[in-house]
This record gives sequence, C-alpha cells and structure tokens, in this order.
Amino acid sequence: MIAFKNEWLLFRRSRLGLVMILLLAALAIASVVAGLVEVDRQRAAIERIHPLQKQDVSAIANWVTKTGTAGDAAYFTFHETWDPPSRLAFAALGMRDVSPYLLRVRALGLESQLYDSENYNPELALPGRFDYAFVLVYLAPLFVIALFHDLISGEREAGRLRMLEATPGAGRRLWVRRIGLRYLLLVASLALPLVAGGIVAGAHLQGIAAMVGLTAAYMAFWVLVAWLIGRLNIGSAASAASMAAAWLLLTLVLPALAHVAITRAVPVNQGVELSLAHRDAVHGAWDIPQEKTMAEFFRYHPEWSDTPPTDGTFHWKWYLAFHHVADRSVAPQAQSYRQGLLERDELTRWVGAVLPAVGVQAAFTRLAGTDIQAQLTYQDRIRAYHTRLRTFYYPYLFNDRPFTEADFAKAPVFAPG
Amino acid sequence: MSALTLIARDELWLMRRSRVSVIAAALLIVLVVIAGITSVAHQSNVADTRARLQAQVDEEFDNQPSRHPHRMVHFGHFIFRPLPPLAAFDPGIDAFTGNAMFLEGHRQNSANFGDVRQSSILVRFGQLTPAFVLQTLAPLLIIFLGYGAVARERGAGTLRQLFMQGVSAGTLIAGKLLALATVAALIAIPAMSVLIFVAAQPGAAAGPIALTAAGYLTYLALWSIIVVLVSASVARPRNALLALLGLWSVTVILLPRIAPDLAATAVPQPTRLETDLTLQRELRAMGDSHNPDDPVFAAFKQRVLRQYGVRRVEDLPVNYKGLLAVEGERMTSELFDRYASEGFARQARQSATMDAIGTLSPAVAMRRLSMAAAGTDLAGHARFLDQAEAYRYDLVQRLNRLQADAVSFEDDAAKSSDTAAEQRSRIDPHHWHAMPDFHFAPPEPGDLVRRASPAAVMLLLWLLVPALLLAPAARRLEGVRS
Amino acid sequence: MTYHEPSGLPLLIANLVVDYGAHRVLNGLDLSIRPGEIYALLGGNGAGKSTTLAAIMGFVPPASGEVRVCGVAPGSAPVQARRAIAYLPENVALYEHLTARENIQYFLGISSERRTNAEIEAAFNAAGLQEDAFNRRVAGFSKGMRQKVAIALALLRHVPLVLLDEPTSGLDPRATQDFNRLLGGLRERGSAVLMVTHDLLSAADTADRIGFLDAGRIVQESVAEGPDRYDVRALHRHFARPVAA
Repeated sequence: MIAFKNEWLLFRRSRLGLVMILLLAALAIASVVAGLVEVDRQRAAIERIHPLQKQDVSAIANWVTKTGTAGDAAYFTFHETWDPPSRLAFAALGMRDVSPYLLRVRALGLESQLYDSENYNPELALPGRFDYAFVLVYLAPLFVIALFHDLISGEREAGRLRMLEATPGAGRRLWVRRIGLRYLLLVASLALPLVAGGIVAGAHLQGIAAMVGLTAAYMAFWVLVAWLIGRLNIGSAASAASMAAAWLLLTLVLPALAHVAITRAVPVNQGVELSLAHRDAVHGAWDIPQEKTMAEFFRYHPEWSDTPPTDGTFHWKWYLAFHHVADRSVAPQAQSYRQGLLERDELTRWVGAVLPAVGVQAAFTRLAGTDIQAQLTYQDRIRAYHTRLRTFYYPYLFNDRPFTEADFAKAPVFAPG
Repeated sequence: MSALTLIARDELWLMRRSRVSVIAAALLIVLVVIAGITSVAHQSNVADTRARLQAQVDEEFDNQPSRHPHRMVHFGHFIFRPLPPLAAFDPGIDAFTGNAMFLEGHRQNSANFGDVRQSSILVRFGQLTPAFVLQTLAPLLIIFLGYGAVARERGAGTLRQLFMQGVSAGTLIAGKLLALATVAALIAIPAMSVLIFVAAQPGAAAGPIALTAAGYLTYLALWSIIVVLVSASVARPRNALLALLGLWSVTVILLPRIAPDLAATAVPQPTRLETDLTLQRELRAMGDSHNPDDPVFAAFKQRVLRQYGVRRVEDLPVNYKGLLAVEGERMTSELFDRYASEGFARQARQSATMDAIGTLSPAVAMRRLSMAAAGTDLAGHARFLDQAEAYRYDLVQRLNRLQADAVSFEDDAAKSSDTAAEQRSRIDPHHWHAMPDFHFAPPEPGDLVRRASPAAVMLLLWLLVPALLLAPAARRLEGVRS
Repeated sequence: MTYHEPSGLPLLIANLVVDYGAHRVLNGLDLSIRPGEIYALLGGNGAGKSTTLAAIMGFVPPASGEVRVCGVAPGSAPVQARRAIAYLPENVALYEHLTARENIQYFLGISSERRTNAEIEAAFNAAGLQEDAFNRRVAGFSKGMRQKVAIALALLRHVPLVLLDEPTSGLDPRATQDFNRLLGGLRERGSAVLMVTHDLLSAADTADRIGFLDAGRIVQESVAEGPDRYDVRALHRHFARPVAA
C-alpha cells in the first residue's frame, strides 16, 4: 500500500503524466456531454413531431370526413413511427446521424417508403461524430503511448534502472505497480465520465458495466502492446514511434482495408433494384386485369375473398391490394438486400474479432443500439406496424364502411422498442 | 558539394540505412498504390453501375404503355448521381449521400441507398483512398522519419561539432528539410500518378487536377517544415516525437471530429420529417385543391375561364384538370424550392462553421481543397440536387401539360367510374419518348477551382507560419553553441 | 527492519568465473570484505569491474565459483541478497521531480520499508546533506549531493554491504574530501564498502585494502596498515602499466 502511494506521488509529480490523465478525462467528459446533448436533441425532435403530426392528421380528417371515403384516409394519412435513442446511445451515436429515427408511412406499398434517407449534412457526417466510443477507440490509445512508451526505457535513459533493479522489492512487482497505477488512472479517467453519463441518462447497470468492461479490456490491450514494445529495449523515442505505428495500423489502415475487402466481397445493389422492381409492380397493376391482382391479394388475405369483386373501374380496395401485392412481389429482393447488409455486418464482426478497435466500436454500437442491426430492427417494427395499418383500413374498404372523424383516432399507434 | 546538400544526403542516407524507416516508407507507398488502384476501380465500377442503371430506367420510362399522364407523374423517374472523374482520388462525401433518387410529382424525395447506411461501422473508420492516405497517414510518416532530424544531433552532441565546422544553423535546417521534403515527394509520386491517370479520363479538366496536385504537395511540404521546426526547437528527440504526435492527433484526428459537433450545435438541422410536416402545413395554408370553395383555387378557376373567355370549365378547349395540375405543381414547387434553398443555406452555414473551426487545422483546409476541386463536396451534391429538381419540375409539368392538352376533361372526370373513359384517358406511349432524359451538367472547371481557392489560400497561410518560424528557430539553435 | 543478521561475511567471492558468451570476463576472482572495511577495486577498462558489481547484485550468473552476500547467493536468491546491498551508480540518478526526502521514501517504499521523518533527517545529517536541501527537488542537485542522498538511503536501510561505482569521478577535490569523510561514517557503522574506481588517490585516502583487477582476477592486493601497507607510487606505476603486460 505504501508502495502504491509512493507510485502515486511519483506519478503526480511528473507533470506530463498528470496532464495527460486530466486531458483524457476532459476529452471523455466532453464526449459524454456531447453524446448526451445529441441524444436529448434527438428525443426533443421526436417530441416535437407528435403535435405536428396530430395537426396534420386532423387537417386531413377535416376534409376526408366530408365524404367519409376510407380510401382517401388511407391514401392521404401518414402515420408516424419513431426510434427513440436507447439510454446508452450517448456513448456511441453510431449510425443515428445518417439513418432516420423518424419516418412516416402510409398504408400504401412499404418498399418505396422504407428506405428514405434522413436530411443531414454529409460533410458533417464524413468525419464522424465526437462521442465516447471515438475517444476510447482512437484517442485513448494515443494516451497509452504517451504514458507508457518510456516506462522502462525512461528509467534506463535517466540512469536509474540499475539502482532500481538493485533495490530489493523492485523487480516485477515494481513494474506491475507502475503499470497498474497508470492503467487504473487511464481507465478511471475514461470510465468515470462514462458511468456519470450513464447515470444521467438512466441507463441499466448491466449496460454501463459492459461498456466499462470493454473500456478496461481495450485499454488493457493497448497497455499490453506498449509493454511488449517496451520490452524490445529500443529506447523511448523508437518505442513511441513503434506504438504509434501499431496504432496507425490497427485503428486506421487495417479497418480501411477491411472495409474495401468487405465492400467488394458483398456487393449490395439490391436496394436500387428492389426500388425499380417495386415501381414496376405498382404501376404495372394498372395495365393488368383487376381480377388477377385481387386473386393474388386474396392469397395473402383470404379473409376478404368473399367480398364483392371489383368492376374494372377505380376502387380503393383494389388500389391498396395492388400496393400490397407489389410489396409481396419484391419480398425476395428485400430479403436479399437485408441479407447483404447482415452479411456485411457479420463480416465486420469477424474483423472485429481480430482488430480490437473495430471489435470495441462494434460492441459499443451494439450495446448502444445504434448499429445496423438496430436500424434493421427499427425497419422490422415499421414493417409490423405497416401490416397493422393496412389491416386497419381493409375492413373500411372491403366492407364499404364510411371513415368517420372517430375512426381517425382508432388508427393503430406505433410502438417503439 | 555544398554543406546543404551534404547534410541532406547524409540525412537521407541515415533514413535509408534505418530498416524501420524504409519499411514505413515502403508501406505507405504500397498503401497509396493500393488505395489508388481500389479507388480508381471503385470509381469506374460505381460510375458504370450508375450509368447502366440510368440507361435502364430511361429505357423503362420510354417503354411504358399507354397511360394517363398523371399516372406517369407518379410513375416518375429514377436518376443516379454521376461520379466526377476526380472522385477516384477523393470520393469526398459520395459514400455519405444517397446515390439513387426517385423523382415524382408534388413530392421531393430523398436520395437513397447511400453507402454509409449499407456498410456497417467500418465506413466510419475512414475509406482507403489516395486522399485519405495523403491527408491522414502521410504526415505521420513524415513525423516518424523526421522527428529526430535536428533533435538527434543535439542530443548526441554532434550539433556543436557541425557548428564548429562552420555549418550555420540555417544551412543545417535547410539540409534536413531538403531531405525530408525529398522523402515526402517520393510518397507523393504514386498519388500524383493517380492524378495523372485521372487527368487522362474523359471529362477531366486540367485546372482542378493541377490545383489538387499543388495542394497536396503544399500540404506535405507544410508537414515537413513543421516536423523540422519542432525537431529544431526541442531538446530531445523523444520530446520532439511526442509534441509532433500530439499536434498530429489534434489537427488530423480530433479537430475534424469536434468541428461537426460544434457546427451541428451552432446551426441545428431539423429532421426531414419535421421539415416535411411544416411544409405540408404551409401547403394547406396556401390553398386546398380538394375544397371546391377554396379562394385560391376559385380565383385560379376564374382567371382561367376569363382567359379562355368561357363560362364553365367544361367549355374550355383544354382539360381543366391538367391546368389545375400545372398550377398545383407550380405552387408546391415554389414552396419546395424555398425549403430546399433554406436547407442548402443551413447546411452551407454548417460547413462554413466547420471550416472556420478548421482554420486551426491544415488537414481540414486540405480536405476542403481536395473535395471542392474534385466536386465531391456538399456544393457538388447540391448541384446535383438542384439539377434533379429542375429536371423533375420540367418533367412533371410536361406531363401535366399533356394532361391538359391530350386528355379530355370529360374522360378525365369520368375515368374513375367509367372503364371506357379510363381507356380514352390513356395517351400514346410516343409521348414518353418525347420526354428529355436527365443529363447531369458537370460544373465548369473554373468553378471548381474557384470553390477550392479559399482553402488553397488557407493552406498557403498555414505554410507561411512555420516557414517564418524557421529563421528564429535557427537563431535559437545557434545559441546552443555558446 | 526486515533484514536478518548476517550469517557470514558481508561479501565473499571465491574463484568466480563469469562468461559473456565466448568471452571470459571474470576468471577466478577471489575477494572478501569484512564488516567495517573499505575495499577499493582498481582496474583499467575491461578489467571486469562492472561485471564484478553485476555478479554481486545477481544480474549475471556465475559460470563457476561462488558469490555470497552475507551468506546468500545472489544468483539464486537475488531479492534476499539485494536486501543486504546498497548500490550507488557512477551518477546517482534520482527522481528529478521528487524532493530528497520523497526520493528516500520512494526507494524505501519499493522494498516496503518505512522510516519516520526524524530518522530520515538523522540519516541526511549523517550523510552531510545540508538541511535546506531536504525538501528541495533533486533536479538542481550536484553529483555530491545526490550521493549524499543515496548514502542516507544506505544508512537508513542498515545494509551490511555498500557498492560504489566510480564514486569520485567528476567530483572536485573538496567534494572528494567530503565524500571520503562520508565513507568513514559508513565504516564506523560497520558496513562493508566495495568501491570500484579509477581514482587511485581517493582510494589510497580511504581504503583499508586495495585490489588490482586485471583480466578478470585480482593480480595484486595491498593494505593500508601494517608491514604490507601499500605504496601509492608503486601502485600508480602498476596502474599505468599497459593492460597487455
């Protein structure tokens, strides 16, 4: 214990070390605050939508109820869906800056609505956001370099190494204490702001604990790298240069190479093809007999097959039916598009198993619910909601029931995760 | 041989003898080559795919059967954002914007299927392009190779010996700089070859490419000067390395990340949905085409009737519904344009804020220059969106006018309840052939150069600061002698 | 105090052979020091002085022969042996940003030892460090002052064996005199001192015995007192003789 206290004294007195730890803590705090602010902004944006949406629906209800045409209601009413940030999202904003967390859908073909983009400034998205995961993955290893590159070589270069080694009780335990102290300070300067942020955000204990564990493990990896390079006995400057080179390779070069490889290995052009096919299916419906479309539709919804047939003129039930048939006709492409994205994600996980920077980033966005899987989950929720929406309108259309003011309020409400 | 070249040759020889330096330099050159090859391949692949898809959808549009023109308004058109030739060098924001856009009547859709939403988290680690290697990695190599240039001589005591031989500090620094700049130039060769390759492509213009090349050479020279300057100002090689690593991580890694957050906070961007909802509300306030008593549309009807000198819309020589569609599109598009230009202005303000913060970092100025000259920046994207909207408006209005001229009012009014009227309201497909295709008009080379100029000036100013500090640093270094 | 009473001479080296690869550095070295004795080991460059110190501290293993520090073989129990040793390198390097007192506390702490402030101050006084330097950062200390700090540390640890590597190189005559007085203090406390040096004059001033190391063995040994007492001039002649001879 005395020895540890002495190490602390030694560390505290070396200005460089203390400044580094405080700087890292400041960066971690700044990133957590930035993350919390961004998450709040997203929540506020979602909150702002609800009243606007209500106004929008009531304006539509205003004129639709004059005729009570259910098809008009189904065609003109957009229904809101939203994907609130998780309690841990502040730590890793992930893809939430480039993918929509608010989307309105109609009971029409979903495949032409689902992939809409968010409005964002691509120049702001290009460098990425300043969040805790960034501070941890990119910056913290640089601090490890600063704190550890001369751990042994510094003693040798100052001429103290022999005397230290000749002091009984030095040896391995001394290095364990020195490394341990620096390591604990590093982890604390990162983890304390993270935990504080988690408490402010009201996150679950397990989630915070997992992120703290990842932080500790990632830092341990870099300390190990620093220790191994330090043992090469190549002098402080050469150690620092070697560590920086290792950092460069592991966090910039290899992930970028992996990205090139994955992009080439799993091309995903299905998105565009699916959109084109969907458009053809929707508009082609006008050129084929209505019975054919309806027969197809009844295969998916046999409960309506007993309703009166359409007469070849326009009818909303036919209109919604062919939209659904179009969705069904591109289901294989939608599935393979989704599959392609998952495959890329899966490969990224493999890369993450080898490259700690990628692995930690992936784990953080997973825990924070801000990765591509979270995006797909949101899409799944929208799909489920869209089905409820369609089937909400069908009884009005197929039973020729008028759509009244009260019916607008009966529409299903989206349930976020 | 002069003292200067001797010192430079000596320094180069030392780097050449250090296995680590040689490996590092070779690795970087290999990376530039890989980045160059994959970027060029990716660029031509993407350009081909988009061109092929564009041809495919153009053909599909032309081959649509007889239709009611308004149905074609909603059948709409897909357009694909072409990639400028210099995107092979610096794709800029390409991966962060959608590349397929669906155009239809009275809606402004987003550009969808951008790589960023399709590429897992790896895309956020930076893309391996020549621009990325030169902007981010090359400075680090220059630091590794050069941090000890002067500090090493000082630490080993050879500095005094050199001074005793009559070498001036200025000559020493110039010699070290010459050596480092030579290596930097060596790194730049493969990247410059990519530029030359791009210059040979159709559609490439000399001005922006020359500016890009000059910009990167300036940038590498700038880092060489910074490295020698720090090496000459710090007592120990280790301290020089730490200072330079710190400078690099702040200017190349940290600042570019903080700047977007500050910009987004300074100029908040509403979500697409919020914009959409406010737009819809304003649209309703402008007039309600569903309401026969709406004053705006009633006034429009009176105007039309007066113009044609008839009393009823049924007596018009043209289809009133078509005229109404033209008028409706005009009104909504005006609103769209206003919102779009507000949006562009907002994003431009964000980018300007980011650039202002970026004056603290030569890497940000370099990135701006590179993207602006390549036409892969926000302005380039905005240019595409502008042209897309102009094309959309023109296409939709042509179709609306077809509805007015080629479909009779009676058929149009009865088409929902009368299959025969519906058939008559469909017009011949040759009309679709007559519709123009979308052709992106690339920016003028002079325009690109002009856009890149402020960043170029910023980079030159950056070059000036450490260059001017070299002389005092040399004087201080000579003070070591006494 | 964690150190156990010595169960033998502070230092006993018998027929020690140390090889660095194919190169034989120590070749049958015999050397023993009694408590309270100061032994000066002289020798030219490459004679094996540093290796002797390294072997005593357990940093290099003997090829044959034995080393005993208070009865403990440093090769097999380095930690235990080092408890009996204080080592002062040629340039005592301390933690620059710690004060003299904190340096003492730090090095004691490494071996989990603790002393009161009064004890530390007493050691500083005994080592001849001026009082105003106790709580000053050692960054501005001269070589002599640093040695005093290190000697104080040795005194506090009550070590039976003090190893000094070129202690007087670079000291001015006055500081050398100062240092020699300090050695006297160590002798009075019963520590054995092994001083490796080039400095014949200083050695002659303080040493009880002087050994001359050449090619890895003691080739000549003289004592300060009695009929065999050494003659400085003769030693100097010996010392200046070409190594090859």
